[in-house]
Amino acid sequence: MEGISRRRFLRSSAVAAALTATGVRPSRTLAQAGKPYAGTRLKMSQVAHAYAVGLLERLPAFEAQTGIKVEIDQMSFPVLNQREDLELASGSGAYDVMQLIFIRSGRWIGAGWAEPLNPFIDDAKLTDKAALDVGDFVAGAMAPFKRGDTIYALPWLSDSTVVGYRTDLFEKAGYAKFPETFEALQEAAAKIHTRQTAGFVTEDNLHWIFPNWLLSYGGNFFANPPADLTPTFDTPEALKAAEIFTTMLAKYSPPGGIKLDPSVAQAIMHQGKAACYLDGMGNTQHIIDTKKTTLADQMAFTHTPRGPKGHFPQLAVHGYFINRASKNKNAAWEFIKWAAGKDQMLWSALNKGHLACTRSSVLANAEVRQKFTWRGSDLASLHLAVMKRAGEGYMVYRTVPQFPPVGDRVIIAMTAIASGQTNVADGMKSLQKDAEGILEKAGVKINRRG
Amino acid sequence: MNSPGHAWKVGGTALLIFVVLFPVFFIVQMSVRTGLEAFRMPPTLSFTPTLQNYVDLVEGKFIRALMNSTVTATSTTLLALLLGVPAAYAFSRARFRAQGLVSLWTLCTRMAPAIAFGIPFFLIYKELGLIDTRVGLIVIYLTFNLSLVIWMMRAFFDAVPRSLEEAAYIDGAGVAGAFVRIALPLTAPGLATTAIFTFLLSWNDFFYSLILTRSEAVTAPVAIVNFMNYESWEWGKVAAAATMIMLPVVGLSVVMRKYIVHGLTAGAVKG
Repeated sequence: MEGISRRRFLRSSAVAAALTATGVRPSRTLAQAGKPYAGTRLKMSQVAHAYAVGLLERLPAFEAQTGIKVEIDQMSFPVLNQREDLELASGSGAYDVMQLIFIRSGRWIGAGWAEPLNPFIDDAKLTDKAALDVGDFVAGAMAPFKRGDTIYALPWLSDSTVVGYRTDLFEKAGYAKFPETFEALQEAAAKIHTRQTAGFVTEDNLHWIFPNWLLSYGGNFFANPPADLTPTFDTPEALKAAEIFTTMLAKYSPPGGIKLDPSVAQAIMHQGKAACYLDGMGNTQHIIDTKKTTLADQMAFTHTPRGPKGHFPQLAVHGYFINRASKNKNAAWEFIKWAAGKDQMLWSALNKGHLACTRSSVLANAEVRQKFTWRGSDLASLHLAVMKRAGEGYMVYRTVPQFPPVGDRVIIAMTAIASGQTNVADGMKSLQKDAEGILEKAGVKINRRG
Repeated sequence: MNSPGHAWKVGGTALLIFVVLFPVFFIVQMSVRTGLEAFRMPPTLSFTPTLQNYVDLVEGKFIRALMNSTVTATSTTLLALLLGVPAAYAFSRARFRAQGLVSLWTLCTRMAPAIAFGIPFFLIYKELGLIDTRVGLIVIYLTFNLSLVIWMMRAFFDAVPRSLEEAAYIDGAGVAGAFVRIALPLTAPGLATTAIFTFLLSWNDFFYSLILTRSEAVTAPVAIVNFMNYESWEWGKVAAAATMIMLPVVGLSVVMRKYIVHGLTAGAVKG
């Protein structure tokens, strides 16, 4: 699958000629020693994350085993988004292995920037299928990276929305269990909320949090994604969801609760300034960090509440893919197999606290289960349940190519409504209009609503 | 001296200083707090300071980013002055056809926001192999700093009476001699001001560093953003890095403040 470059050919020829001339015979080449990609240098882009720290720690073993040198560029999520998009759009092969951000998967896969992995998986010379065990990836985590049967990335991170909460505060308010519905949660938050302790806290990426309400109330971003992308923010269901969600932000969150990054939201829980925290597992799990809080023994975890139309926890997934423009595709695949492999993921779960993993075998592992069980809350099971639920297909709205700009507009709308700049009806009407404009500008045929 | 008016002035000045310096104080105190202390509510003034955030930065890759910032900003400043100051002198003293047009065109890189030039520069740099190199950043910074140097220094040269140089010509000096021995020393405060502005523009650049670097030439402003991990933001490191970025600029400004004040007020009371 890889050609030989002229420069590489000339270099090899020169070395061979020199060895012949001096009478030196190489005793055994690296390729013969089972290292066909020895000397290859790979570059990888990756969000700054504990999983990447784990990769770096164990990278020397991989490099010694394969002879491949890997440079991992860790960067913040906003930088990663911008940089990967630019690198891919320009056809740059600077990065061989890249992180497939699931909300950009529609655009990147659609544009042909991600190399299909099936030829690598199906080639017995390149892959030990039993060891890779593609079926071990939970379907919900794999879904954003598949188009039909074609796989474009292997997932390493799946973040599922869950709730971390203070059992003592809810019990004091008369709740033996965490409320099962969003409306019950709102009632509980109203009872608990004081100037000192907020009833609820979440992070500021509102296009990730709001859909927990939106879908549960029967709404969606689009009419029938991916077939019909007509925005549906002005439906009665969407308006009801927006009303309840923005009330939680406006009335029962801490001061400035519309704009809290995950660290601050976690710190608020650590200091006992909020009764519950709804966010991705990767963030929520940190509220019981005993180095940062003395309240860990009063916290527990549970699934997100449901709405009248059911339970729709959200799932964010990130994977590793081969850049179509890479000149080292086989070596890149060798690295991906290792990086998303069972051994690395299990090690990461046990040693780096990487609970938001994507392999069912890791989440079923007894040691992992024990490590991530807190006061009766089995976080691994909670996470696995969300992945399975999301595998039913409702997350497809996030992987349409036009989601990112529409999602950004959702954040603006929710912020405007929650901060009182506009009311729910006008805010959602304006969101609908803007979303229609975004879709039409992108050349998507929609059915304008009024 | 002790009139109520004086007390108001002192109080007002103190308030103004407090308002202006509060963000700096906030960042510096946050940089010596632990992660747990950083967001304690209500904030406490009594805490045990720690240098751990700085230790983490020194042990990580941030120092390399800081070095990249230092090299690119310093080189850009020197090159921009080396090329821009003689050009400004020429615009001030020489008379040639289309002078106004040429002078205006030197501003073309500042006629649109940086993002408008971002993609073309990226594509050109990709072909030239200048992505993720210090040289690449220096060239980019030079393109938009040169016009600043030319336009700022031209105004300072315009304020120097031509008769001084004409006297030098009579004494046998050439154009270069008059420029170096007469005009340049008289515009020293302006030179210092221009140098600092040029340095600051390069030092604080985020956009070009973001799109034209990857890991080798990444500068401090972009490196700071990379402390915003996917799971949580490392505010302690962000604050420590921000403090380290501020220090050289504050130091430079303190050392050169006399020239800066002279430069900014040059000609203010002249007719």
